[in-house]
Amino acid sequence: MSSPLVLLPGDEIPSEYLPSTSSAPLRLGAGLRLLSQPHRPTTSNNSTSSPSHVLTATQAGILSTDNKRNAVSILSSPRRRYVPTANDLVIAQIHHSSPDYFHCMITPQAPHAVLGQLSFEGATKKTRPMLKQGDLVYARVLSVGLGAGAEVELACVNPATGRAEPGGLGPLNGGMVFDISTGMAARLMRASSSTGEQQEGVAGLVVLDELGKKLEKAGGFEIAIGRNGKVWVDCSNSGDVAVKATVAIGRCLTTIDEHDLNPADQKKLVSRVLRELKIEV
Amino acid sequence: MVAPSATLSVLNRADGSASYQCPSTGSNILGSVNAPVELPGRRDALKPEDATIEVFVKPGTAPAGVGERYVEGILKTLLGRVILGREKGYPRRGVVITLAIIGGESVGRGDPYLILLPALLHTALLALLSASVPLSMTFSATVLAVDESGQILREPSAEDAATAQSVHVLAFSSKGHLLLNESQGSFDFDTWDKVRQRASAICHGTQLVSADGDVAMAEDVDGRPLEGTLRETVEDQVYRDYNWKINAA
Repeated sequence: MSSPLVLLPGDEIPSEYLPSTSSAPLRLGAGLRLLSQPHRPTTSNNSTSSPSHVLTATQAGILSTDNKRNAVSILSSPRRRYVPTANDLVIAQIHHSSPDYFHCMITPQAPHAVLGQLSFEGATKKTRPMLKQGDLVYARVLSVGLGAGAEVELACVNPATGRAEPGGLGPLNGGMVFDISTGMAARLMRASSSTGEQQEGVAGLVVLDELGKKLEKAGGFEIAIGRNGKVWVDCSNSGDVAVKATVAIGRCLTTIDEHDLNPADQKKLVSRVLRELKIEV
Repeated sequence: MVAPSATLSVLNRADGSASYQCPSTGSNILGSVNAPVELPGRRDALKPEDATIEVFVKPGTAPAGVGERYVEGILKTLLGRVILGREKGYPRRGVVITLAIIGGESVGRGDPYLILLPALLHTALLALLSASVPLSMTFSATVLAVDESGQILREPSAEDAATAQSVHVLAFSSKGHLLLNESQGSFDFDTWDKVRQRASAICHGTQLVSADGDVAMAEDVDGRPLEGTLRETVEDQVYRDYNWKINAA
């Protein structure tokens, strides 16, 4: 990879940074827009679109390109507010329930998202989860609606198959939720969804591998990451140290998020936190 | 000329924030942006397809008064032209910008805010960038005073501005458009034209666009162009945030 390109709003993207494969149309991600420039004299633009079009940034950040999907987007500030996007996995909290829907909070100061009473795996009118105010669900954003003032709809089930896909969707029982930045949530998602044979430290994070190794003897832990900047941790298998282990994991993740620690420091932090909380490893 | 210094993402709970040190007045401005937020009531009914922008200017020691309302209006109009309020997630939501003036020579009640206006504009821009609010372009602004002998003074202090014939605030977009022109005092068109040229040089420098599209920032009497300083501040923050990605590559 060449040196990363930092863009500011209004900057044009030089064509040499765009994916070179031109078999599929270029997909524009967040932070970019296509402008037409009818009076542009030069033709030094990218070859994938006609010369009268130009790609400009709308947010400040690093240009990220995906050659496989022929996609390009901008990675902007990791501490930004979460804006729901279809197919994101989020951790939502039930606010209240109505005959057909649960009304959930994804982020504070945003309107409630709706979650169908029956959009759970195996739910029927007679057997459906009875969620109370304050309960947590791990859900997928089904749709964000079109236009202004549209409702965000969540689901804990794939409507086509009737299964909870990907696994783990549904009510989250026990455990504890920690707040992290949205950028950190995206990184954790990439780090935890990658398989073990990949090189160590996907997205610069080794904390989950490290915690997994160290807490294996204590019984391991379960983790769910919501793109809305929430992470749910449960160690109920760990017996006596369950609470301590949960706090330790939360503390590691929030500290790494706050201080942008590198992999070596992450390992040190994990050892230090476990030692401070007197958890046997 | 001392360049302004700024830091991004200084506040933890805001979606975006910036702290800006203005060298000429010595005041420090802390800006926070929360966006997109839900608006109470139906205040968005007038423009249902667009985001509503709200700007609050808080002086350090006194409650906000008429002068603050006036400058809030200027900021709101300018930022409204730059913010893309129709992007996903923004229509009918609010973009709330709060600018607190900390320290420095306080602006008296009823006094014009012109000498602080560029600092307020820059803080708002940096906070918006930090919150990743979609913008069509960036901008830079400066304030110039013209004294009795026709001398143009860059970024005057409060005393200089009080004795000057006229005071001008000009903002230029990153594409070179004149975005804002606020003038006070008596002046003729020739004076204003000179002021505009000088302000353009301060904001953009004398740009030399080479064949490969790189923009060389030429330095002249006014030191580094303001636009370059702002860009560098943002780039530093981006490099800090994405250290993990850059190191891995």
